[in-house]
Amino acid sequence: MIQVLLILHVLVGAALLGAITHQAFSVARRPTSLGRNFVGRYVGVNSPTFTNVIVLLFAVNVVLGGLLYPRYRVDVRPLLEDMQLRAANGVFETKEHFAAVGLGLLPAYWLFWRTPLALDSAAARKYLTWILTFIVWWNFLAGELLNNIKGLFP
Amino acid sequence: MSRYSQFKVFSIVFGLAYLGLFFYSEVTKVAMFRYYPVLGRFSRAALPLETAGPPILWYSWLLGALVIGGALAAFIPRSWADRVPAGWVWITAFAMVVVIVVYERRWFY
Repeated sequence: MIQVLLILHVLVGAALLGAITHQAFSVARRPTSLGRNFVGRYVGVNSPTFTNVIVLLFAVNVVLGGLLYPRYRVDVRPLLEDMQLRAANGVFETKEHFAAVGLGLLPAYWLFWRTPLALDSAAARKYLTWILTFIVWWNFLAGELLNNIKGLFP
Repeated sequence: MSRYSQFKVFSIVFGLAYLGLFFYSEVTKVAMFRYYPVLGRFSRAALPLETAGPPILWYSWLLGALVIGGALAAFIPRSWADRVPAGWVWITAFAMVVVIVVYERRWFY
């Protein structure tokens, strides 16, 4: 069961990573700079359509992470302590705090991305998206690092 | 936007409450409750590490932040929530990320 949850956690994380990275790039673009090449098409997506999916994936992944946490606390963390990998412990500590802060941001994030997009919240929409993107990337990479820690630090 | 303006309040208060509860636990070693994965149960009291194993406090910080954020967002008048600048949300979020990074850097030395 725990393996299924872990794989699901990674898959949801990967989907979330793709969706929010798309949105983060698209919110940074200037409307006049759209090209028809790969980059232009990548950033030229209809950003608001990603919002509900991002909120759902983020919330689901926090729940999945919460379900996996007990196993981590009992099996993985003592291993990290035995291997004297303090930094890896720190990576997880920041991951759990970032996940909580990101979870709390979702209602405001959703509000700012509601259509029609309000012009007066354009800056908040952009920076909130970038902060969430940073959190998603950090947490994904931290999860992968911890998941593969034995291979990375034999 | 006014129909959902309280969402801004929730997002700001949730994060601040989470960090407040976390730092309170760090300083006083007190939490609303703990989950003991070895025992598979929650406990309001801190149990001995030798018999109960390591505790998880994260759930209590999340629940506390949810209750505080939800209560404030629900009870604050909508006209007040409307006046909360959109910028406050991302600025407090950014500040919280910085606080977390600064505090947790202790693991990396």
